[in-house]
Amino acid sequence: MKKQLTAALTLGLIASSLAACSGGGNATPSASPADSTPATQTEATATPGNDSGSGEKVTLTYAIWDSNQEKGLRTIADEFEAANSDIKINIEVTGWSEYWTMLEAGATGGSLPDVFWMHSNEIYRYASNGMLLDLNDKIAASQAVKLENFPEGLNQIYNFEGKQYAVPKDFDTIGLWYNKTMFDDAGLKYPDESWTWDDLHSAAKALTKDDVYGVLAPMHNQEGYYNFVYQNGGTIITDDKRSGYDDPKTIEALEFYINLVKEGLSPAVFDDAGRGELIKNGKVAMGFFGSWNLSGFTENEYMAKNFDVAVLPKKEKQASIYNGLGHAIAHNTKYPEQAWKFVEYLSSKEGQERQAELGVAISAYKGAADLWLNSNKTFNIKAFVDMVDYGVIRPYSNTTATWEDKAYEALAPAFTGKATVEEAAKNAAKVMNESLAQEK
Amino acid sequence: MNRLAAKRISRQTWGEWSWGWFLIAPTIIGLVVLNIIPIIQTAFLSLHKSGDFGRGNIYVGFDNYVKMFQDAQVWHAVGNTLLYALLVVPTSIALSLVVAVFLNGKIRGKSIYRTIYFIPMVAAPAAVTMVWRWLYNEHFGLINYVLSRIGINAVDWVGNPKLSLFSIAIIGIWSVIGYNMVLLLAGLQEIPKDYYEASDIDGASKMRQFFMITLPLLSPTLFFVIVTSLIQAMQVFDVIYMMIDVMSPAYNNTVSLVYLFYNNSFKYSNKGYGSAIVMLLLLIIMVITFIQMRAQKKWVNYM
Amino acid sequence: MAQQKRLTRLFVHLLLFTGAALMILPFGWMLLTSFKTVTESTSMNPFVFFPSVWKWENYVEVLQQNNFFRLYWNTFAMVFLRIACSIVFSAMAAYAFARLKFPGRNFFFGLVLFQMMVPTQIFIIPQYLMVDSLGMRNTIFALLFPGLVSAFGTFLLRQFFMGLPKELEEAAKLDGCNIGQTFVRIMLPLVRSGMVALGIFTALFAFKDLMWPMIVNTNSNAATLSSALAKIQGAYSVDYPELMAASVLAIAPMLVLYIIFQKQFIEGVATSGGKL
Repeated sequence: MKKQLTAALTLGLIASSLAACSGGGNATPSASPADSTPATQTEATATPGNDSGSGEKVTLTYAIWDSNQEKGLRTIADEFEAANSDIKINIEVTGWSEYWTMLEAGATGGSLPDVFWMHSNEIYRYASNGMLLDLNDKIAASQAVKLENFPEGLNQIYNFEGKQYAVPKDFDTIGLWYNKTMFDDAGLKYPDESWTWDDLHSAAKALTKDDVYGVLAPMHNQEGYYNFVYQNGGTIITDDKRSGYDDPKTIEALEFYINLVKEGLSPAVFDDAGRGELIKNGKVAMGFFGSWNLSGFTENEYMAKNFDVAVLPKKEKQASIYNGLGHAIAHNTKYPEQAWKFVEYLSSKEGQERQAELGVAISAYKGAADLWLNSNKTFNIKAFVDMVDYGVIRPYSNTTATWEDKAYEALAPAFTGKATVEEAAKNAAKVMNESLAQEK
Repeated sequence: MNRLAAKRISRQTWGEWSWGWFLIAPTIIGLVVLNIIPIIQTAFLSLHKSGDFGRGNIYVGFDNYVKMFQDAQVWHAVGNTLLYALLVVPTSIALSLVVAVFLNGKIRGKSIYRTIYFIPMVAAPAAVTMVWRWLYNEHFGLINYVLSRIGINAVDWVGNPKLSLFSIAIIGIWSVIGYNMVLLLAGLQEIPKDYYEASDIDGASKMRQFFMITLPLLSPTLFFVIVTSLIQAMQVFDVIYMMIDVMSPAYNNTVSLVYLFYNNSFKYSNKGYGSAIVMLLLLIIMVITFIQMRAQKKWVNYM
Repeated sequence: MAQQKRLTRLFVHLLLFTGAALMILPFGWMLLTSFKTVTESTSMNPFVFFPSVWKWENYVEVLQQNNFFRLYWNTFAMVFLRIACSIVFSAMAAYAFARLKFPGRNFFFGLVLFQMMVPTQIFIIPQYLMVDSLGMRNTIFALLFPGLVSAFGTFLLRQFFMGLPKELEEAAKLDGCNIGQTFVRIMLPLVRSGMVALGIFTALFAFKDLMWPMIVNTNSNAATLSSALAKIQGAYSVDYPELMAASVLAIAPMLVLYIIFQKQFIEGVATSGGKL
């Protein structure tokens, strides 16, 4: 065994001059390096078609970041392939943060996936640099895709300088998850659409026991304080792209929210995994979670048995943060026709209804969401659809990812009690405005 | 002068030269293409305000560097990175040296020990971080459970700014001991047995043997372990990246230079600034390594 | 004297045992968790050490949802090729740096050291662009690419060559060996333990490499164990038992390999050391 190994290791070196150790003592190596790169094996997969011939079978790559949706989307892609025998769809899943690194590298190198998901945080960079195919003409010529069938707010996210760069795929809202068993034990009425902040607060107080917190108010924007800010009539980003963190209404909402932690009604939580663990293990009686957690919560025995979901409570008005993905096509795809055919199907009434029926996500297409309601019997998921009427699009600008993180860093001291809410919020406004000033 | 020297070069010298060049050629060509060119690009980029997708870079001179030196977070990161290296490198090398020396002797069950000490090395970082997070977990973790049995209240190992870098350093030490141990064992095996036999006859104690024979003869390996461990520790990223998010109150107390580079370059797409940060790290590592290369003459014993 | 010796040995064993226990504890916990139900895994009151029923279904589930055969194959092909490249090229360069005198030696060795000081994250995008322009994404070659040459390996083996006595080469020279022959026939076998150590490290680094395979090989048929594991982590998010089962499956083959090789390089090498 060890002989073989050493032999294998030295094989590449023996190429020349290995007779006996006699003869000319200083022969220069004349043999060219017989090494170079080892035989490359390319059989791992077929690289998506280099053969752009007509009538040939075309393979499209479809890049997504949520592996929970892969199975359902595969079914839809199979159905699409059945109807279009000349197109094959390759679904490629990459985790959220690697997805953007992959896409960035692809955009820089000119090899983007043919069809891929887009997000409000990133659309500006891709659209403004011409990385995405302008879909205006294709949509205008299409029978199946009409933008008026999609919520206007979602269309707007993916519209840059009058050009539509992606078609909405789905949407998500944030719900109030509550532990029915704990509510029953405390003799409390379940939350409903009449609930106000005061109801939330008093219920949280009644539900807080030795090792159970009444509510989970984590430092999280989309699944946390953003909702409260807009319920209070505050804002995160103004129309003229200034920070809303110093708006008195915003500060008031943050104060209410962070007080839940300060009064001991909620643990101070900063990470996603921690939030999930606490609610799934009966450590908190209420929590705010987006609709995309649905499949995870349904699979969890404890959640399925004890929990249900309701619309968020209101203050001045009702509000829930609302966002949605879009389907985009690479500007330089080799197969624009076929790629559009696929996106067209995904955005058509039929494709959107399939997505809803299969429970993949809440389809953005008007009316299709109702089909989604039947996909899950465990929870009262209608709440998520009800909130669309007063949904507020997740605040975004051209550099969302940057200022979101800066704001988090500024707000953390308020959650840990190292700064007052007002100080932290003013500081968040300052760093966010600095970041916004960098936008072109 | 040069020409004169060239004339005097003998055939034999030429032979040695060409063998030298021939032998290093694949490695050097590979390094230049794969690594050196990207490094030069990075240095170049650090003088620019980077455009998206590698286009439209604007030359800004040393603006990124000026901004960097005024950025408190960069200094936090420098401090965290150095502290991490200082926590991990000496501890892990001392521990693994002790283990390696024991396991090189005639000890019962040594192959089992070797296997066990090595296990952390074969685990994928995703799995390692996951299981440690799970152990450290404030509410459901094994560590806090055990502590609670002896009357100690739950500790937030990861989220507490005062503790988190130490918690991360423990993972670093834990996972690198096997690596150091394997290298040191390989080095120990190279030490000729006769030396020990001779000193056994002289009646030298084990302790004396360790300092008189083992340590000096192991010094080339030890030197390698120290240099590479320090470099690796200075580049710490994976574990912090998977354990600590920007939202964490411990972020400023744990963020490393590579993490900061990663966030700026990939998350905030500010590649110019990210490149400046990585150049700073490179400079620090180069200074440390240079000092070590200089100092090796004082203590490393090549035959 | 004998008494003292026994005491020392007991102490050494105690020390080694404690260390080993600490090393293995997280993995023991991983293994135990992999057989539990989700509820058991997070139950604090009562705290569950051992699963009430050993739940093999976690493994079945993970195996069904992932093509582990493919993942093992991709991973091993990558690991094998990276080992071959790094050992061959590094041994060549290391010998030259350690023992030969030639113009530019210090400069080129400086380049090798320099490369090691640079965080690998900065290479990702440039190397991606190279692989992409070769049209080699989603291939085994793409997985091998960053490991074609190894600065680490060159430095490591150089240390080993430098530890060898000079007399050996002088003796070979007297026997009429040229430099290549001396290198291949005399010197190379003597750094076998270094080469095996390098092989193991190359395997480990390749195996652990996460970001690169995730980005360059996005097709799930071309993924490696590590990149697939990270993806599984995203999919199950908090289903710890299934995550742990997947981790166990990913770790097992590497561990078996190590057990085979540790005998080979630690015990097998003892003879070469004694000969000097």
